[in-house]
Amino acid sequence: MENNTKTLYWHWLAAAFALAGIIVFIFASFGPPASSSGFISLLKGAIAPLAPSYAEQNPHYAMMPGPGSWLFAFVLGMAMGGFIAGRTFRAPVRDVPPLWEQRFGNSRAKRYAAAFAGGFLILFASRLAGGCTLGLFISGSSQLSLSGLYFGVLIFGAAMVTARLVYGKTRKEKS
Amino acid sequence: MTPNIVLGVFSGIAFGFIIQRVGATDPDKMARAHLMQEPQIPMFMLTAVILSALGIAGLKSAGIDTTRVLPLSLGATTIAGILFGIGWGLCGYCPGTTWAAAGEGRMDALFALAGGLAGAAVFAHLHDTLIPLLYDPYNLGQLTVADLTGSPLSAMVLFCLGLGAAVWGISAVWKKS
Repeated sequence: MENNTKTLYWHWLAAAFALAGIIVFIFASFGPPASSSGFISLLKGAIAPLAPSYAEQNPHYAMMPGPGSWLFAFVLGMAMGGFIAGRTFRAPVRDVPPLWEQRFGNSRAKRYAAAFAGGFLILFASRLAGGCTLGLFISGSSQLSLSGLYFGVLIFGAAMVTARLVYGKTRKEKS
Repeated sequence: MTPNIVLGVFSGIAFGFIIQRVGATDPDKMARAHLMQEPQIPMFMLTAVILSALGIAGLKSAGIDTTRVLPLSLGATTIAGILFGIGWGLCGYCPGTTWAAAGEGRMDALFALAGGLAGAAVFAHLHDTLIPLLYDPYNLGQLTVADLTGSPLSAMVLFCLGLGAAVWGISAVWKKS
């Protein structure tokens, strides 16, 4: 089943042209795109009514627009795009991904806990660096910035080492 | 709705759609990319960066310059890159793909998104401590490849050759699937 759906994915080169087209459109119509900033915009919108002085005085929220901004509209649009794409093309969607299941079993709680921890790390790190895969690596490198290229080398390297540690023992059983 | 919100939603829909179609919202495919079993996603990402760089250079020469280069901090960027890679390798999501994957109906992406909100909130709370400690003292400034090579044209040539070689290397070294 999974092998049959594999051929339906777009070719990487065609997808790269499509994504670059959108990125250039975003630079022409807005500026450098970012994803992790959308998290801050959402938090700012949630915190402002509860603790207005904290949202105003915290320098991290002060430097970012609230939810009525391009940045939050973009991540909301990403969820809509993912929804539309998922309705029109059935990629395998599993609560516990197959590789993960081979290594750690089919416990949803374990997978969700790891996803939460991974999500925590990527956003904490993105805010420290000033951007994420999109906001720093893709946007930055497309502007030939050394920060984006350097960040890209580190995130790929650390992720490859981590994936080997996480999945190492079952790596060769499938595929 | 302001034009910026319409543009943001439209750009997000297109972006989320494309990354789902290439398989980047699937944490299993992302793990196989990190394990050097499937080369497509990293080849897609790096090629998109090369093509975007050429497009953005084209925009600049047409007088549209919205670029904003982020500074390189040897402290903050290094620590953040390693922490980010650990999180990415652990869960198979990055900040953007959590949104698209959640829209696609992946439950674990919702947990990654919730974890991301927590991580962002904790960092924001510690901003006043961590930025002066890790970022500012090691900030080398808004450097680009042109600062190394001396001219925008030679920078672009070196950049395209370097990333092109990386794409070729990945296609040669990663197992074919």
